[in-house]
Amino acid sequence: MSFDPVVRLADVSRVHGDGPQAVAALREVSLDVAAGELVAVMGPSGSGKSTLLNLAGGLDRPTSGEVVVEGRPLSGLSAKDLAGLRRRHVGYVFQDLNLIPSLTAVENVMLPRELDGVRMGQARREAMAALEEVGLAGVAGRFPEEISGGQRQRVAIARALVGERRLILADEPTGALDTPTGDDVLQLLRARCDAGAAVLLVTHEPRYAGWADRVVFLRDGEITDSTLPLESAR
Amino acid sequence: MAIRQGLLALLSQGPRYGYQLRTEFEASTGAAWPLNIGQVYTTLSRMERDGLVAPGEQDDQGRVVYTITEAGRAEMERWFGTPVAQSDRPRDELVIKLAMAVTAAADVRPVIQAQRVATMRTLQELTRAKRASVEGPAQRLVLDSMIFQAEAEQRWLDHCEAVLTASPQTQERQR
Repeated sequence: MSFDPVVRLADVSRVHGDGPQAVAALREVSLDVAAGELVAVMGPSGSGKSTLLNLAGGLDRPTSGEVVVEGRPLSGLSAKDLAGLRRRHVGYVFQDLNLIPSLTAVENVMLPRELDGVRMGQARREAMAALEEVGLAGVAGRFPEEISGGQRQRVAIARALVGERRLILADEPTGALDTPTGDDVLQLLRARCDAGAAVLLVTHEPRYAGWADRVVFLRDGEITDSTLPLESAR
Repeated sequence: MAIRQGLLALLSQGPRYGYQLRTEFEASTGAAWPLNIGQVYTTLSRMERDGLVAPGEQDDQGRVVYTITEAGRAEMERWFGTPVAQSDRPRDELVIKLAMAVTAAADVRPVIQAQRVATMRTLQELTRAKRASVEGPAQRLVLDSMIFQAEAEQRWLDHCEAVLTASPQTQERQR
């Protein structure tokens, strides 16, 4: 395991609005996620979980503090460079899958690679490999509405994994799935982690947080508690 | 308690030695429920007395094979057909501790927070055991049961925190 974190949040705060109306969504939060590590963030709604994830992935910028992804501080990047870094290094899995209904499963997975400028044949090969990894090579040619909810979520995960992304950000990825299917989703994220990715998982379900090496509890924008890393987790 | 019915369920698959029953019992329930060999033989001899199992001849290594009887099968089926009563389960120390902390007007939040971290730790360990489990579906379902119980406790702790934060007495004390 590398000692350099794949993502580092250093004293990160995010304030919405200013003056007397200012609301702090996150207060001086520091958190590292290393390669091979799965960190779960738990907390009630409004505790800042999603804000934390958006900041870690460069989808939002902190009011103060620094976010470093793969050794690069995000504060110095232009919007264009930030978008490029997000596409190449960060995979997102959201609760509302964001699959494009008019594209097949494999086309959905190819999309981020094509945006990266990878040629279509190569992008398709990579996408097929990612679908294979999540056990869905058989439905590559189907449209999202033709597959089950659990399969759709696995397609969304394949899309987050395609290419060489080492940072996976997952916001309630088990959404409305039943518990065995939710376990399958965590199994996939866990496998990716064990293969060297860093995974930051936001969930309000304790059973899924149980898959993590470390669990961080957020309350009112602050980290109040955290479990120690499990030893010899691998 | 359920040891005798558990052994009957194993014997319904065919005659077995005492040692074999112990191994299979633990394989099915995960290490969740370790049995010592003495418990197995005590239970077998009581079931023999009650006509639920019948011993065979001792072999040259001194081992005795036990076979389930008709009465034994009926007892096993009665067990599978009867729901477990809530009152048969032990009292929960955590529930009593939190109720007493509220009654004694102690600060309950640190109690909740410390328990939440400890219970999450348990969940992590159970999940790791589940990932490593190769014993088949029975053991996996036993671990799942413990995971669901730990999860319920975690949810209940969140619920306690929310209720206490909103309660007039708590707000009074914080003023």
